[in-house]
Amino acid sequence: MRNLRFAYHMQLTFELPAFHHHFTVRCEPATDERQHILTEEITIYPKHFDSRQVDSFGNHCIYGIANDAHNYFAVDVSGEAKVENTPRVPALPSHRIGMFRYASELTKAGKKVTELLEAASFSSDWGMLSAVSKATACMNCLYDSYRYEPGVTGIDTTAENALELGVGVCQDYAHILLALCRAESIPCRYIVGMMMGEGASHAWIEVYEDGFWTGLDPTHNRLIDDNYIKISCGRDAKDCQINQGVFAGGGKQKQEIRVSVREA
Amino acid sequence: METGELYRYSDMVNELLARYGVKFGIYKNNTFKEQLFPFDMIPRVIGKEEFAYLERGLKQRVAALNEFIKDIYSEKKIIRDGVVPEEFVYAGSGYLAQCEGVLPPKGVYSHISGIDLVQGKDGTWYILEDNLRIPSGASYPMIARDLCRKSSPATFEKNHIEDNRNYAQLLRQTFDYVNTGGHTVILTPGRYNAAYFEHSYLAEQTGAHLATGSELIVEDEHLYFIDYSGKKEKVGAVYRRISDEYLDPMNFRPESVIGIPHIYDIYRKGNVALLNAPGNGVADDKGIYYFVPKMIKYYLGEDAILNNAPTYLPYYEEDMNYVLEHFDTLVLKDVAEAGGYGVVFGSKMTKEEKEKFLALLKAEPRRFIAQEVIDFLDIDIYESEQRVPRKADLRAFVLMADEPVVWKSGLTRFSRNPDSFIVNSSQGGGFKDTWVLSE
Amino acid sequence: MAILSVEHSDQLFWLGRYSERVYTTIRIFSKRFDSMIDLKPEEYEEYCRQQDIPNIYTSRDDFSNRYCFDENDPNSIYSNLMRAYDNAIVLREEIGSETLAYIQLAVYAMNKAAVSDAPLIQLQRVMDNIVAFWGIVDDSIDDEKVRSIIKFGKRVERIDIYARIQMDTAEIEREMRRLNLRIPRTGLCYDKVKLAHLNYLAQVSPLDYKTIVKEIEGLLLQDALPMASGM
Repeated sequence: MRNLRFAYHMQLTFELPAFHHHFTVRCEPATDERQHILTEEITIYPKHFDSRQVDSFGNHCIYGIANDAHNYFAVDVSGEAKVENTPRVPALPSHRIGMFRYASELTKAGKKVTELLEAASFSSDWGMLSAVSKATACMNCLYDSYRYEPGVTGIDTTAENALELGVGVCQDYAHILLALCRAESIPCRYIVGMMMGEGASHAWIEVYEDGFWTGLDPTHNRLIDDNYIKISCGRDAKDCQINQGVFAGGGKQKQEIRVSVREA
Repeated sequence: METGELYRYSDMVNELLARYGVKFGIYKNNTFKEQLFPFDMIPRVIGKEEFAYLERGLKQRVAALNEFIKDIYSEKKIIRDGVVPEEFVYAGSGYLAQCEGVLPPKGVYSHISGIDLVQGKDGTWYILEDNLRIPSGASYPMIARDLCRKSSPATFEKNHIEDNRNYAQLLRQTFDYVNTGGHTVILTPGRYNAAYFEHSYLAEQTGAHLATGSELIVEDEHLYFIDYSGKKEKVGAVYRRISDEYLDPMNFRPESVIGIPHIYDIYRKGNVALLNAPGNGVADDKGIYYFVPKMIKYYLGEDAILNNAPTYLPYYEEDMNYVLEHFDTLVLKDVAEAGGYGVVFGSKMTKEEKEKFLALLKAEPRRFIAQEVIDFLDIDIYESEQRVPRKADLRAFVLMADEPVVWKSGLTRFSRNPDSFIVNSSQGGGFKDTWVLSE
Repeated sequence: MAILSVEHSDQLFWLGRYSERVYTTIRIFSKRFDSMIDLKPEEYEEYCRQQDIPNIYTSRDDFSNRYCFDENDPNSIYSNLMRAYDNAIVLREEIGSETLAYIQLAVYAMNKAAVSDAPLIQLQRVMDNIVAFWGIVDDSIDDEKVRSIIKFGKRVERIDIYARIQMDTAEIEREMRRLNLRIPRTGLCYDKVKLAHLNYLAQVSPLDYKTIVKEIEGLLLQDALPMASGM
């Protein structure tokens, strides 16, 4: 267990002023059995009306409208969390598990995913393995055959496409592992969060078994521990977008994300 | 039944329908065209007793479907108890994860249901399909009735026919029952929608405001209609005629420009009613159709009053075997398609087509249902002054306020092609009025 | 009718303008065409100049056919009627099915005229339906704002066309008077300075037609915001 101090900064810069800007941000880590949020502060620029909401995946959302013209939109979240050194968290309620067993738009298994699954499931006792063991075997196999490289894939890249390209980022690792697990009928979900150090936000997955979700980080080929703070979950990256918006004006836009997590 | 006089003014009635713009829109080679919806004067007549039977069956069915939707988006007892396999829910196109845990105002999910029925040659009625998303068609018999009464008052004097022009009033009651306080609007994707005539006609008849997404805005947790002088008017109910996916770019498809940002967020909080409730499609999927009689038993403890057409689910091995053995006598439907598309008749396939189809069926058994071909009871239409028999179905409308009410009429659609079983307006069919006798 | 959106108020205005444009252009066209028959076949060139429309026509007959009925010519009477229809069709609940029907009938009459062997005389039916439309607007629309916005659009269009064809002072003055009476009943935002200027212009002799056209076109204040979507 350790105490982590986190700071999350997201800024969307517009080429031209934007106005009537409707936004929803999912950037607020919530307390659960694994992570206890001790303090938390959120600021959003520009001036706006806002409301709060918990979505169907249990994510905390802030949504609203910023009517006046603005050149950038920024969200800052900072605080302190006490995180248990375990990858597991109880899965509740039980009737919200089933939906994670089926492939979503970005996690459909195609030829490549099926081939990788065949390679991962060669052992004779495969059928006897637990869900977490199967997922771990898939993760190992994925880690060996896939390479981290930013700039090749995009936010809409499917698991199958990402695998065809052979390289990708944490989102792609997570999507491919979800596709592999779902092809095996294992309920599993996409996680957006932060991990120890400086950089961007991170993504990993959780696999369901016997009343618990277990976190696996395919980008680093390991179970998650007390270096990880979870922000949101969903069927794939689409359910967990940190920032969504509809606005007038704006022109070209540039998004910047900076995350820092260190020991308190 | 004395109706002879009714047919004398058929041309005049169709001319008046044209005058009032009774049309539907279609896209041909990517251009939008408005087409008149041909009306045939010979009504479908349903006796009082017979309709009372249909009414009981339809109320029961819609009540069970509503329970099913409520259950699916909450505890899912029907899955847990093994009545409906979960893949038919989660892998179907109608399930929306965003609806989990959301209870609509007064617990009503399917406010306006369009249930399609057909009558077999032996007189038996069968349910063909449930339409719980945005069923359309009630406006056509409403306006046709108005004109028929004008053209032949004697017919309506001598026969005792339930007035169907109360649909607007029933609809208004349905709106008001769930309205959370404020105006009612009918939300249309715009005039290039196939059912635009209906949207605008129902707005006129119910006194609701017809609006597109850009006329409405969510602010401080409520929905407002912005007046041209800039005044904000609160909206408490939205009869939305746009599909779930396009309703709210912040919660569903982000590229939607016809929706209203954040409407779903305030709906979740109970600050506006959406008719029909988002996520309803989970119950009108062709795969789920098979389970409706089981649902009725499960939720209501009753046997279904109205039967499904005999249906097989290749997902079950036993049914798959039956389908393979009796392939030529069955009609196969792709559960993901609608509007008469994705329907194939085993007997009409060439050898090659059949082989290809069987391979697909075996690879994706969940994607299809198979049904016995029902020998429809034909209904006569006038064609070149001759009475000729044609296939026809009936769309019954069930409106749900505190309890389901069946509209005493319905949209009877017929196929103009003598060999076709497909009666959809998008495939060139026409319509008839449906008379329910009151004595 | 309690509430009216910006979009619908805009559509009412344009319904008024386009219905007027169809009516008045048929009227003017018929008169001018009469002299084109045997006196001055090339008069259509002058007509195009006045109406500020490109002369894309090759002859008098080409002009009379395409200017009336060509759906691909954006300046044709047909195209203007279709624009009236496009605005009317989205206003069923404001103006009512009975009122909307007359625009629909004008469209049917136009289609019939286009294929008839005496198309010009058949245009009378189009005019009849538009006149009937205005009649029923007055008779059956309860909401004063709805009614006034349509009629205001009609006035604006008439002054616009009259100024283009350089009608005499009396006519312009009369139309300006009616516009002044109508405008406060619409609830619309308009440019009061421009209105005052127009009233002044209508009294100055000789009339400065060009400026009248410019000012009348800018009378209504518009603010439409295009929506964009992003992440």
